[in-house]
Amino acid sequence: MEPLKPASLTLRKTPPISTREFAELRRFIYDLVGIDIPERRKYLLENRLGPRILQLGLRNYSEYLMMLHHGPDKNTELKYFFTKITTNETSFFRDTKQLDVFETHVLKNVLQECEAAGNKSLHIWSAGCSSGEEPYTLGIMLHEILRMSIIGWKIQITANDLSPDMIAKAQAGLYGEYALRTTPKDVVDRYFIKETQGYKIHPKVQKLVSLGLINLNDKLAVKRVPKSHIIFCRNVIIYFDDAVKQKLISNFYDNLLPGGYLVLGHSETIHKLSRVFQPLIKPGGIVYRKST
Amino acid sequence: MNRVCTEHLTPGMILAKKVIGPDKGVVLEPGAAMTQEHIEALRTLGVSAVFVRFPAHMEPQREIERQVQEHVRNFFIFVDPDHEAFVELYRIAVQRSLKAFRDGWIIPCEEVLHAKNVEHLSDLFFKDAGEPGDIVRHEVGLASFPDIYFKIREVLDNPKSSAQDVARVVNTDVGFSAKLLKLVNSPFFGFSTTIDSVARAVSLVGVKEISTLALGISTINYFQNIPPELMDMRTFWRHSLRCAVFAKLLAAKKNLPSDRFFTAGLLHDVGRLVIFKNMPYASVEALLYARSDMVPLVEAETAVLGYNHTDVSKLLLEAWKFPAVLIDIIAHHHAPEIAHAREEAGIIQFADIMANVAEISAGGLFALPGMAQEDWKLLGLMPRELTLLINLHDEHFEEITSVLL
Ligand SMILES: C[S@@+](CC[C@H](N)C(=O)[O-])C[C@H]1O[C@@H](n2cnc3c(N)ncnc32)[C@H](O)[C@@H]1O
Repeated sequence: MEPLKPASLTLRKTPPISTREFAELRRFIYDLVGIDIPERRKYLLENRLGPRILQLGLRNYSEYLMMLHHGPDKNTELKYFFTKITTNETSFFRDTKQLDVFETHVLKNVLQECEAAGNKSLHIWSAGCSSGEEPYTLGIMLHEILRMSIIGWKIQITANDLSPDMIAKAQAGLYGEYALRTTPKDVVDRYFIKETQGYKIHPKVQKLVSLGLINLNDKLAVKRVPKSHIIFCRNVIIYFDDAVKQKLISNFYDNLLPGGYLVLGHSETIHKLSRVFQPLIKPGGIVYRKST
Repeated sequence: MNRVCTEHLTPGMILAKKVIGPDKGVVLEPGAAMTQEHIEALRTLGVSAVFVRFPAHMEPQREIERQVQEHVRNFFIFVDPDHEAFVELYRIAVQRSLKAFRDGWIIPCEEVLHAKNVEHLSDLFFKDAGEPGDIVRHEVGLASFPDIYFKIREVLDNPKSSAQDVARVVNTDVGFSAKLLKLVNSPFFGFSTTIDSVARAVSLVGVKEISTLALGISTINYFQNIPPELMDMRTFWRHSLRCAVFAKLLAAKKNLPSDRFFTAGLLHDVGRLVIFKNMPYASVEALLYARSDMVPLVEAETAVLGYNHTDVSKLLLEAWKFPAVLIDIIAHHHAPEIAHAREEAGIIQFADIMANVAEISAGGLFALPGMAQEDWKLLGLMPRELTLLINLHDEHFEEITSVLL
């Protein structure tokens, strides 16, 4: 067999995106989901979407945009599109230091306050939950704190994401070692069922979580989410620009009950965006509180 | 039997060893021709690689070539696929990886590249309190920079200094002067005669050049205590040395003072060490972000931290009073268009890219950063010259490493 000919190797496998097409696609994505794709990432976008264009038998990005705007299957295609333009890196017990701060200074207090007020119901919203590791982690934490007494509680963890693939994964609740790499072994033993196909989240945790699609850039959709004691939105706003962040933070504010808490990703901050929240600064992490 | 990463599996491949699930049950029996569903199931399970046999219609050699190309392409995902330099570098990288494969290199799988437990790391600063200025001030406050460095600086600052002055200072540190002599005597530095004293080195190479080399060498010794989970120091300095080697080669081609470029290459990422030291958890997030979003680390730093290592390098080297020309090209090696010396900064930019290419089959992790057409044109290189550059690098890299690391 003849050896590989280097000259035959090319990097370009899909049609190039023109400057105009990129600008239009960027605008489209930004207006729709609030994610801003800078010029620097043009080729990355080509790499993500190019194969799809070939698969659909389209000639260029203008045709693809047309299809997303007006095509008969535009809703189906949009779902696929969302999966392609988002990244969903996550894991159980991600940022344990921050979760410790959350458990000690937020979760336990909130539970006590609810109990003292004679209203043993709790709503947590995990906004941008990816494949479910984050909301299930919260469910496990609640089981760990409340133990048997959890049956006296009405707990709901609403978990939403833009990507239908991710919500489907969360629904399946089946995970591999990678997702569990920072989860203590005894927790794995108690809250996961070892199956042949992977580690399955225990039904007692799964039933606390109600999953669904959401576009966080859609104000009306966000308004429909029930009022929350706590909102987790970690490693999501990193993809938004300041204007979108600001809008979202203010929608979160409206969603929170008085005295409610907002938890962002380790490197995310609202310092420059909003003064309405009271930051609670602890070694290990910051959480933001709405005034009572 | 072939070990194939899950992400490179294609339907039709025949499983050669059974795969066991968490409950010890059999996920897939050997002998089964895999379907798309099987492959998805292996991904969910987090299996990083399996052993397979190729079916009759798959030519094993072509199959390996396909996998290697897929692997290498991932490194080029961020760059202009029509850029002549990157197309050539892609070809070079595929050839090198195929050769490495024949020599026993194992294609690293995604799953392995990802996994690391770093949850115990804590940052010294919160996001808003950890601006480049803050962490550099903290770093410089700790400074116990090698004494020799300051003595050399004094000599450099004094316009009246002579070759003897430099030699005298360098000679006060025996280990250090030995390194310097070994370096200038290495075939890479290409002096025809043996240089047996620092004084001779200074007169042959020049006061300025020897002094900047000395600054570079003393910096390597300075950084310790970087959390090894993030990046071990050897890997970091090996990348820096590769960049130094390429920078010197590129500069020599253009008749620029090549030893200065060697030092600039050596220190081009120095700001990253300060970020690792002061913001280890944020660094982890940047590393994760770079892997998951398939962007260069510099881009991930900007997304996660709001600044990148060049911002930190600039302030650090200013605080250490490095020569301004050196700071200019180091601080702008990801944005030559705003450097005073655009072409020179472009040399470091391209040397860094070449270093990354050389690492693709030697532990590389991140997507290559891009380079503007204008900056590439300024280098005045032909794509076909790149193979020679990489060969020269291969010839000298290990020897330079053994002197300096
Ligand atoms: C990096 S993951 C973070 C997952 C999890 N919160 C964590 O911290 O591990 C970001 C998630 O945000 C989702 N996302 C991005 N833009 C969104 C939008 N406009 N509406 C809803 N979800 C969005 C993505 O689909 C992705 O799953």
